[in-house]
Amino acid sequence: EKAPVQSRGCLLKEVHLNVTDLGLGYQTKEELIFRYCSGPCAEAETNYDKILNNLTHNKKLDKDAPSRTCCRPLAFDDDLSFLDDNVVYHTLKKHSARKCGCV
Amino acid sequence: PAVARENNCLNAAKACNLNDTCKKYRSAYISPCTSRVSTAEVCNKRKCHKALRQFFDKVPPKHSYGMLFCSCPLYDQTACSERRRQTIVPVCSYEEKQRPNCLELQAACRSNYICRSRLADFFVNCQPEPRSLSGCLKENYADCLLAYSGLIGTVMTPNYLRSPRISVSPYCDCSNSGNNKDECDKFSEVFTENTCLRNAIQAFGNGTDVGVWQPMSPV
Repeated sequence: EKAPVQSRGCLLKEVHLNVTDLGLGYQTKEELIFRYCSGPCAEAETNYDKILNNLTHNKKLDKDAPSRTCCRPLAFDDDLSFLDDNVVYHTLKKHSARKCGCV
Repeated sequence: PAVARENNCLNAAKACNLNDTCKKYRSAYISPCTSRVSTAEVCNKRKCHKALRQFFDKVPPKHSYGMLFCSCPLYDQTACSERRRQTIVPVCSYEEKQRPNCLELQAACRSNYICRSRLADFFVNCQPEPRSLSGCLKENYADCLLAYSGLIGTVMTPNYLRSPRISVSPYCDCSNSGNNKDECDKFSEVFTENTCLRNAIQAFGNGTDVGVWQPMSPV
């Protein structure tokens, strides 16, 4: 089995956000750095991906549209804790990327 | 428009979560200090204390003290002061089902070598001296703050009391002291009525230079 490829196009990016921007329903004024994976994975594609592309194009897979290589987190950042407006602590796990790759 | 009041304790929490080291060790103590382990126990206190000691060991004072010694205006007894009181997750690290006598707590501390040495450090480095301008016998606020924060994660873990002025105490009182009432009060007041510690906390919170009380060298 082939290991995930660290493609040049697929990169770890970061953005400074309020915890409320995450849309997870928390009420707090705390902030965080959110890191995510973004970029093309075309150069990391295998024969499998090429075949899927051809089969989808030639309508050989009925209505199925299997996923192609994606730029995704290979590892997640450390947990994040914050205190909400009602003085309750929350801890988010696997909320932010640490390392990216084409999988 | 209403003037946005600065909440120094909130600003310190924001700064912590934007710093990878502080963020990591902060969540590393908040997790065990807020995880219920059984119907009887709100948390694993031993793990919570250990993670709190790690936080103050590993995180640079700029961030750890920033949260622990943040300054709150007198009129603010909620948003800012309550956040400061919650820094150590008191429901787990501080409160007990019953409040022990302070001398009993001191005896428990003496039986543990980490607690014993840290309590001794605190008494030495935060010893008040009314005749000195700093309020401290050893005129070094940084050493007093270090000794105080070193108690967090021991059975002597102190926290802010709900009081308009800065007053801290371990989770104990002097009821049921019997003949030792005076001794107990004396011990307790080294926390609650300590001008040296109060000045050190205020100097940090106000961003006053740690060396301000030292005489200026002639120009």
